[in-house]
Amino acid sequence: MVAAPGKRKTDDLIIVDADIHVNDTPAALTPYMTQPWRKSLEVMGGGTSYLNVPGFAPALKLDPPIPGGHPSRSVHTPAEMRQGLDELGIDLGVLFPDNLLLFAVLPNIEYATEISHAYNRWLVEEWLREDNGLYGAIVACPQNPHDSAREIARYAKEDKVVAVYLPTAGVHPLWGDRKYDPILGAAQAANLPVMLHSVTVVTPQFPYQLDQFENHWARQMLSHAFAMQANLVSLMHTGVPARFPELKVGFTEAGIAWVPYMIWRMDKYYNEYRRMIPFLEKRPSEYVRDRMWFATQPIEEPDDPRDLVATIKLYDPDGSRTLYASDWPHHDFDHPKGLLKLPMSPEMQRNIMGASALELFGIPAPVRK
Amino acid sequence: MAEHIIGPVAELPPGSHRVVKVRNLEIGIFNVGGAFYALPNICTHQFGPLCAGTVNGTTACSAATDWRFAWVREGEILTCPWHGMEFDITTGRCLANPKVRVRQYPIAVEDGIVKLTL
Ligand code: FES
Repeated sequence: MVAAPGKRKTDDLIIVDADIHVNDTPAALTPYMTQPWRKSLEVMGGGTSYLNVPGFAPALKLDPPIPGGHPSRSVHTPAEMRQGLDELGIDLGVLFPDNLLLFAVLPNIEYATEISHAYNRWLVEEWLREDNGLYGAIVACPQNPHDSAREIARYAKEDKVVAVYLPTAGVHPLWGDRKYDPILGAAQAANLPVMLHSVTVVTPQFPYQLDQFENHWARQMLSHAFAMQANLVSLMHTGVPARFPELKVGFTEAGIAWVPYMIWRMDKYYNEYRRMIPFLEKRPSEYVRDRMWFATQPIEEPDDPRDLVATIKLYDPDGSRTLYASDWPHHDFDHPKGLLKLPMSPEMQRNIMGASALELFGIPAPVRK
Repeated sequence: MAEHIIGPVAELPPGSHRVVKVRNLEIGIFNVGGAFYALPNICTHQFGPLCAGTVNGTTACSAATDWRFAWVREGEILTCPWHGMEFDITTGRCLANPKVRVRQYPIAVEDGIVKLTL
């Protein structure tokens, strides 16, 4: 299957799309559902509201609508999907659900199990029967791991089932819990990759359940960086840098490599959602560059130290917003030598090792005796 | 440079817009409160059909509004249908990133006829 001719310059390149979405309305799954849950789906019907169908894709929609914006898109047939992919110049794609992105939050185990069966049958029978470049990921059911393992084995031989989708947003406990071993084992036995896929979900547990981690290494991975990211976004989303334009903010004890990711991510979604946060009159990255400082410890240690310097430059080209920190005497302290060995310009080094902190804290430069 | 006739003013009342094809170019023609603007129907972001988007106002919130949300610029903001980037029709500027700007083609009304220069 090759995309329509003349669509792109890279005609000899095969483009495979690892994540495309089918619109899995309750009405679509109804014929595949067993009773009495079929009755439930009949009540829900078309479920036309995107990712917001009570009892099926239960979203916590809290915001008042703001006029404008752009409509959500959905695809209802393989032909429609094929046409969309052709227009994008994509040869092959792997199908994931729309509404079932929220699947993990459904609390009724029996109902969730039946939904997973219905979705998988619907997917295979209505989307994966033709030679049209469409492949699919069957949904795993975290609510019922043993049944889900059998389900995976059932579809293992289907040519066009190429992955197992693990509903990621709102899953509780997280996917590393031993509870899910049957699902992971079945996927492995079927030689199917498992695909984590997220969506916006906030529940009392998710994504805060770091207490579930079984050892300190795991907690250390996320608790610091996650706390920083969550609080950076929190400061931004209520307009703190705009409302307190002189306020300086420092972030310590989380390293620095997460910063470029977050500023790019915040800028990208500022493009789309600016009208929700109009108090930000500049791009989030500009507020970060103007008013925020980042302490280095625990400094990331990539194999090639040039990668670390390049990473700092992504948010701080001259080192003036980066602060050396040791965290002394804690177990994971960074010796200054760990930073001094990095291949950076003398100016950048001077800034990171001390000048930035002098500026931030308003400390006069000491005179060397 | 050549003039292209878009049509009588009466067919493009204030608040309306339409996409026309001139030579190979798709161009959105906008009447914002009696003033005409012409923008390319291609978004700077990922090349979506910008002028197929909706025309609206937008929100503002600053010290000038006492940090309360206000609704401003009704009829002057074009939102791309693909990912929602907002553009000021009257200047071509992207609201989320002032470095980004779409072209504005010269457009004028003569004897009740809207004319685009290209
Ligand atoms: S293409 Fe216009 S916002 Fe993305």
